[in-house]
Amino acid sequence: MTALVAAELLKFRTTRTAIGVLLAALGLVAVAAAGTVGTAEDNALGTSQLTQDTVSSALFASLVAFIVGILSVTVEWRHGTVTRTFLVTPRRVRILLAKEIWIAIFSAALAMVGLLLVLAIAVPWLELRGSSLVLDRDAASLAGRTVLATMLWGALGVGVGAVVQSQTPALVGAILWILLAEVLIGALLGLVDLEGVADYLPGRALSAFDGTIEDDGLTRGVAGVVGLAWVLGLGALGWLRMSRQDVT
Amino acid sequence: MIEVESLTKRYGSTLAVDDLSFTVAPGTVTGFLGPNGAGKSTTLRALLGLVHPTAGRTAVLGLPYAELAGVAHRVGAVLETFDAHPGRSGRNHLRVLATAGGIATSRVDELLELVELTGAARRRAKGYSLGMRQRLGLAAALLGDPEVLVLDEPANGLDPQGIRWLRDLLRSLAAEGRTVLLSSHVLAEIAQTVDEVVIIHRGRLVRQATMAEVEAMAAGEARVRTPEPARLAEALACSGVLSHAIGDGALGVAAPPERVGEVASANRIVLHELTTARATLEEVFLSLTDSDAGENSAQ
Repeated sequence: MTALVAAELLKFRTTRTAIGVLLAALGLVAVAAAGTVGTAEDNALGTSQLTQDTVSSALFASLVAFIVGILSVTVEWRHGTVTRTFLVTPRRVRILLAKEIWIAIFSAALAMVGLLLVLAIAVPWLELRGSSLVLDRDAASLAGRTVLATMLWGALGVGVGAVVQSQTPALVGAILWILLAEVLIGALLGLVDLEGVADYLPGRALSAFDGTIEDDGLTRGVAGVVGLAWVLGLGALGWLRMSRQDVT
Repeated sequence: MIEVESLTKRYGSTLAVDDLSFTVAPGTVTGFLGPNGAGKSTTLRALLGLVHPTAGRTAVLGLPYAELAGVAHRVGAVLETFDAHPGRSGRNHLRVLATAGGIATSRVDELLELVELTGAARRRAKGYSLGMRQRLGLAAALLGDPEVLVLDEPANGLDPQGIRWLRDLLRSLAAEGRTVLLSSHVLAEIAQTVDEVVIIHRGRLVRQATMAEVEAMAAGEARVRTPEPARLAEALACSGVLSHAIGDGALGVAAPPERVGEVASANRIVLHELTTARATLEEVFLSLTDSDAGENSAQ
């Protein structure tokens, strides 16, 4: 399995997509962090809330991890590399496991780099304004959840890619689902007093876990478990599809 | 050893392979022939675990492909589709495969040298010509120094030197005791490379034979060339032997060469050539798959 995970890393490193993805992730995080610190009112400086808002800028890494997860699978079908991948590793479940492990490692690293970038921007900027971040237990907890949530988003992307396989429908469909479909479903369920059910949708659950959504829905622990269940469920569906299909 | 046993593959209402059985022995190069749509690629893909049989089984080295341990060292394959990421260099494509297959990366440079791609190794694969893509595919197949090679149209895009190189390579691999199964539509090339042929037609086996058996399919006939073909034909007819013109002053005669020589001598007819007729692979192939060839040409 180590060899397969190493091969996945090599696949990522040896195309230009990798550079674009990393730049996009770090760019989004940097802009979000700079925006948060730069637009903070004077009376917010030194507060725990500003620290939370600033640290959560690193969550943009999770969006990129989600997209990389989808791409890591769908690129195999888009360019026909899946044939050679299946020839080298005929037990297809091992391919999916390797991709899940690789994306988890990659996502964790990306989130940690994002957090470091947030610190690199926010600490000197706040110092210039005569303030500092409140690096307390809450901030550490948010940083930890940012890493875990990014890992879950990346793994969810692999599952989506394995189920859909076709690259453009997977990317467009996943983004529309998260941004529009879940909101719409939530609104429709609200009409029949079932809005709580929408909290169990994958995007809502992971957002509740990482703190992007703060309402009286799922607790963070339950939201994390629901998110993990989606990751496992989509992974299993993807494996079922891959294991039964003919590569012609 | 390659075994295909009662293999059937159906795609919806289309029967691609129909109860096909054959074996390929170690130490041989076997040609896998059939008209377009005969089921060759489907059979090879079923053998390599890419396609799930509707019925029957396939085995390589005694096991289904998916159950082979260290598969990169056991089986190498080239399929018709280009399977490298266009944005990745040829060298990195092989490095990925070597890493996944547990093969030392030093082998990558050896293979690039062998297929004469060292100069283009760091270029992105999307800029490769058809011949270079084919060489990259062959390098990928040979990466693990496998015991069995399964090659679907491996000569596509290769220049004459490349085809000769491939022929010599396959012969040398078979001489080392490896098993080689290759499909090709270039029958003249196949005839020079293989020990045996498996010919399929509409998904079914029509003939498995050694090349000697293929050539013997015209046994009993003679080919004779003379400056007086009409006179010889008449003399043969008088002796009760049928003949037909095959161009260039030559006759095909339904009798052994000895009988033709006796008739010519008795009639004082000069002969320039007298040989036993041998069927070419192309003739045998076309005779066995004639109806399908007709359908293809009509399309």
